[in-house]
Amino acid sequence: MDFQPDLPIPISYVSGRYLLFSIDAVTYLRREHHICGVLIGTLPQIPQQNVFLGLPLELMPEEARLLVDKGVACIVDEAKAHEGMNTLLEEDRRRYLRDLESQGLHVSRIQSDRKERNREQTLKKLEEKKAKAKAKASAAAATAQASTVPEEGSSTPLPKNAAIVDLFNAEGRSSSPSTGSMSTPPQAATAITPATSYPPLSTPPPSTHLSAPAVPSSYPLFAHLHSKGYFLSPGLRFGCQYMAYPGDPLRFHSHFLVVSYDWDQRIDIMDLVVGGRLGTGVKKGFLIGGAQKRIDEVDSEADRVDTVRAFSLEWAGM
Amino acid sequence: MADVDEDAIKAPANASTEPDVDLSDETQDFRFLNHLNFFADASPGIPRRGEKDFEPNPTELQADVLSASRGAMHNALSYPRLHNTKTRVVAFYAPDGYVPPVKTDRATPKTGGEDEKSSESTPKPPRPLPNSARISPDACVYVPNPKGQFFKTMGQADSLSRVWLLPEEALYLIERGNGLAHLGPPAGPGEEDLSVPMSLQAAYACFMGHGGLTLERYSVYTGLKRLGYALLRAPGWCDDLVKEDADASYATETTPPTLHGPGLAGILGSLFNWIHDPRSTASTATGPIIGTGIHRNYMDIYRKLAIIPWYDPITAPERHPADTTPPFRVVFHVFKPSTPFKKSAPPTPDFRVAVVSTRDQTTMPTMTQLGALLESTPLDPPARGENGPLRHGYRNVVMAVVDQGVVSYLRVADSAFGKEKLYENKGGPQGPKWNRNQKPRKR
Repeated sequence: MDFQPDLPIPISYVSGRYLLFSIDAVTYLRREHHICGVLIGTLPQIPQQNVFLGLPLELMPEEARLLVDKGVACIVDEAKAHEGMNTLLEEDRRRYLRDLESQGLHVSRIQSDRKERNREQTLKKLEEKKAKAKAKASAAAATAQASTVPEEGSSTPLPKNAAIVDLFNAEGRSSSPSTGSMSTPPQAATAITPATSYPPLSTPPPSTHLSAPAVPSSYPLFAHLHSKGYFLSPGLRFGCQYMAYPGDPLRFHSHFLVVSYDWDQRIDIMDLVVGGRLGTGVKKGFLIGGAQKRIDEVDSEADRVDTVRAFSLEWAGM
Repeated sequence: MADVDEDAIKAPANASTEPDVDLSDETQDFRFLNHLNFFADASPGIPRRGEKDFEPNPTELQADVLSASRGAMHNALSYPRLHNTKTRVVAFYAPDGYVPPVKTDRATPKTGGEDEKSSESTPKPPRPLPNSARISPDACVYVPNPKGQFFKTMGQADSLSRVWLLPEEALYLIERGNGLAHLGPPAGPGEEDLSVPMSLQAAYACFMGHGGLTLERYSVYTGLKRLGYALLRAPGWCDDLVKEDADASYATETTPPTLHGPGLAGILGSLFNWIHDPRSTASTATGPIIGTGIHRNYMDIYRKLAIIPWYDPITAPERHPADTTPPFRVVFHVFKPSTPFKKSAPPTPDFRVAVVSTRDQTTMPTMTQLGALLESTPLDPPARGENGPLRHGYRNVVMAVVDQGVVSYLRVADSAFGKEKLYENKGGPQGPKWNRNQKPRKR
């Protein structure tokens, strides 16, 4: 659980966006660096819904920049890195394929074990049902016999239960074809699509890392709130730039709708009214802020973060 | 501080007070996935919304619940994408796309794949075969042995009955755990099979950016696919679309605009008639607009008061997608799950979707851009007697606004206020309450 990946963590730069494919990196960054990102992939277990999503994780450029500036992550051009796939040595390919196969065999074994257990349980239930029916139908003499039947079911099915077994097998076959493989014990390996390409690819050398991501003018406010322990996520759906959560969004509701302004930017009073009312309406504060110094007044983006001031608005009359 | 069981008790009450809660709006607690058995044959349901705490406190209970949530998330996300031997769909990546066969050889699909690769170096002009004509030049993955429900709405078959998939289709199948793609061609007979299966990461690296596929477009595609919709690329997919592309397939889709309403000329004509109306005793220049005659009902008066010309969306000519400015351009045709769908002859789309990325496009569309976008969609007038014709509009388009992986859908409709004459409704005020010309509505 508390796995510590090798630093810096490579962030995949794919078609202009920043993605993470390694579950260990995702968990680690969430736990240690309060970086959540947005899951955008389909969860293979339950693929027909949008409530729980899976890998990859998309990071905002702000998040990627923050991690790179902290020295926790680096940016890797994934399309270029994957050109290495075609030049993989035959030996590496063979080893990789062997690894995949052994993993697949392992999964197949787990699955068939589970199926076997499920089958036994179902058989047991069937037997119990049958026993109850018999008990009802026949006289007291039959009741004594019924108590012995479940025991039979829990051990290997006897020939007299063969009909039920056949029936069950037929059902199993129609619903999931892999049930049939039970009769042929040495199963074929289940094929696996791994989440990442490392291995077989080797970690790209630091010389190939891309430069830190370009960030919008709202970055100082983002970094400021992050440094205060807030978890931030994209907020357009809620009518703001970022949502600020006091803790992990898994367990906490957000507290602020965040909008960033430049220090000497004129703010339309209507925007404040709209933001204030919206925020109060959903029991959140409307937070505006920005860096007091422009980028040409300081040495680096990090120095600007220290000059950020933020204000929160609440609609008191509601 | 509620634990799982309490959450479950609270949930129904919650659901009844807020019936419109969209669970995907907020991060859900992955612990609820623990209740599902992924190996079960029956398809698992989706857990209910749980309660969250207001703010962190230093209690160990809260720390435990949080670490349990994270653990559940970790487990759910590390679940592998598995392909059973019997349901496995194997695909092969061909970065150069579909190359029509040099001569129609009746080879087996496998060796056909080899021929395909070897003939890559000599690109032949595509010969329009009945089947392969529909294969997009952007298709880059082929499935020699297509099986399963997915190919009802995805891919196009070539003359060797291999199904060619677009990058988004292939990526969706891989991500879903239903497809297994190999880098490179299949091994020939007798060769050792050393083609490496693609990882999810490799699939993203290879397919994203291929043939105009952006992460935003893919997010919309896969989000709607997960909900059961069928999607096809619209003619406006290519950003560098030119008008000369207007081929037969587009022409059949356009319906010539028919004049139903009076239009601007009609209004002026009636105004002109009214001025010369013998019953009227005055013109607007010299007297009251409605004249000084005897008025027997309000309808006549309102009709005479309506002298301001109004916009009639029916008279607007339908425009070619090339007239629109990306990203305000329809890129997907979306079909409801209930719409009977045939790959060879797709029905009229239920929705037309334009995809906008907030990081590339930070401003609202201008009226010109929005007008062009709406006019590039065919006329879809509200049905007769439909409740709320203003809301439905005469043309409509769905804008999918993608903010770093979070998608918001907005429906924009072209309403005709001049056509809905309120004074003709006898039973007092009717229809929808809103009064804006363009009403964005979240679905």
